[in-house]
Amino acid sequence: MRPYFEKMADFGTALKKGKIKRGEGNESLIKEVEKKIAAAAEGIKQLGLSEEKVNARGEMTIWQRLNYLVEPGTWHPLHTLFNPLDNEEGTTNVVDGIGRISGKWAVIIGFDNKVMAGAWLSGQSENILRVTDMAKRLNVPLVWLVNCSGAKLSEQHKFYANRRGAGTPFYRHAQLNQMGIPVLAAIFGTNPAGGGYQAISPTVLFAHKNCNIAVGGAGIVSGMAPKGGFDTESVEELIENTRKIKSNPPGSARVHYDQTGFFRYIYDKEEEVLDGLKNYMRTIPAYDPEFFRVAAPAEPKFAEDELYTLLPIDQKKVYDFDEVLARLVDSSEHMEFRPDYGPEIYTGLCKVDGYLVACIGNRQGYLGKDYPEYADYPGMGGKLYRQGMLKMNEFVILCARDRIPIIWFQDTSGIDVGDEAEKAELLAIGQSLIYSIESSDVPQMLVLLRKGSAAAHYLMGGPQGNTTNAFSIGTAAIEVYVMHGETAAVAMYARRLIKEKDSQKPLKPVIAKMNKIVSDYKEFSRPQYCAQVGYVDEIVDLGSLRRYMAAFSACVYQNPKSICPQHQMVLPRIIKG
Amino acid sequence: MQQQMVAPMLGKVIQVNFSVGDRVEEDDEAMVIEAMKMETPIFVPCDGVVGQINVKIGDNVEEDDVLAVIETE
Repeated sequence: MRPYFEKMADFGTALKKGKIKRGEGNESLIKEVEKKIAAAAEGIKQLGLSEEKVNARGEMTIWQRLNYLVEPGTWHPLHTLFNPLDNEEGTTNVVDGIGRISGKWAVIIGFDNKVMAGAWLSGQSENILRVTDMAKRLNVPLVWLVNCSGAKLSEQHKFYANRRGAGTPFYRHAQLNQMGIPVLAAIFGTNPAGGGYQAISPTVLFAHKNCNIAVGGAGIVSGMAPKGGFDTESVEELIENTRKIKSNPPGSARVHYDQTGFFRYIYDKEEEVLDGLKNYMRTIPAYDPEFFRVAAPAEPKFAEDELYTLLPIDQKKVYDFDEVLARLVDSSEHMEFRPDYGPEIYTGLCKVDGYLVACIGNRQGYLGKDYPEYADYPGMGGKLYRQGMLKMNEFVILCARDRIPIIWFQDTSGIDVGDEAEKAELLAIGQSLIYSIESSDVPQMLVLLRKGSAAAHYLMGGPQGNTTNAFSIGTAAIEVYVMHGETAAVAMYARRLIKEKDSQKPLKPVIAKMNKIVSDYKEFSRPQYCAQVGYVDEIVDLGSLRRYMAAFSACVYQNPKSICPQHQMVLPRIIKG
Repeated sequence: MQQQMVAPMLGKVIQVNFSVGDRVEEDDEAMVIEAMKMETPIFVPCDGVVGQINVKIGDNVEEDDVLAVIETE
């Protein structure tokens, strides 16, 4: 298949003078948002105890551990701003991302031992489940840096129980193990109760000599018999008991290395624990990249920084999606699938770091005469029509057949509406696309370029595809909502306005309510909010989108569960005709 | 020589960036047409001088209407 992939068709054009000039304002607006996001991320990194204080106790911080463990330049943070229940700590207290250890890609997660010694906080289990699901979808190891003091007891009601509560990750670890996906755990510090299960549920345990893991911590052992309350006598007794137990907390490293043997390894220094992980990662099954690459890796012909000129942050402005994609894929080359059909959608095969990936994206702007073919109104990119949705269905089905991972690029205002659209079967074709994606079983990634709106956000590879979408990233230009705020205000208040008008009541109170809806929609759709509640897994600078695409591709091709021999692929041949 | 700038679609003119007699370059943004909640820029097709502008802000235009004429040298 070398003739198909080594040299594909060129696409994209150099930026013209006028375009560069027009893009200057856009670049500074996007960079301003990116700066705010970076500042918020840095704030989260600095939460809790200082590095000096943690080091003075003889421990490394989570960030020092990650720096030591992960190969330089390969860390791709995710869920940095994720704090869905808006807890007062400002973090779910786990730090995670994708990175390479000893030449192998892994999903990596660790407790932030600077904040309440890595306690369970509200929102944390949802964060962990996203991470375990990512390891499952990408079929790469999950590496844990366990350092968990157990539940923040004053808020246990927010996270302890429930279907996706703090115990669910232990089932996920079991599931990963049963699927043959190893979970490696380096264990530091004190890990009682929940922390103990965080430590015991992985596959191989690497312990630091000062760590402990236990069913219950010293605090629980010393005060376990409820007496209906506390008085002076009972707290005196508690003090005495606690003094005794504090000097000898249960589940020391010696107990679990010498006696139970839960710990496979024990090390004197924290760095040695991490070296142990590195050694194990060397033994993880992984194909040499050359096994799956279809061509030598190559940078795009056009600079990725030009995306700041090309992607307008102003949602009303149209742009050329093909030019955006040309700045993200190897050599700015592609094989477009059905270019003469469904003009609102791009579908094509591209290369990222030499790996074959399928790309799907919304084209923007006027779609030309006589489209959509079923209606007499003009079609506008960003919207989905019959042909585009049928094309995506066909493309996804063929990608599934050829085992090609899919990267979605979303900037969609929704699916065409009205009776003509209903007659054109758009409702069912949209759900058919969801069916096609769900049955594909190929890993997928979403790059939310700008707008994610209406059902189109779901069916274009959205994170709602829990079993197919590995992760989603968004740019500083994103907006996510069921519909535009003004459209929502009209839907909610148009009839009310008529009623007030007819009864000669003042319109101003209704107008105020409508404007409140508009401002709420704006507030609850901005990038930082989207990242906080998890609409996307990370906001990524435009200049780093390709890095994440490359990490995704490398993970997918590291140890895929199923393979289509390149010479037996049909999609490239269908494209060629 | 003359080159016409035509409306690619029906819509409302919401921005006109040049006056008659202005020197323009290929790919300068000449106008913006709003349709279906989106703003579509109309670019100058060639280097030259604006010889004629047939629309003003607020005008509704039909597909293929001639919006302006550029005189080339």
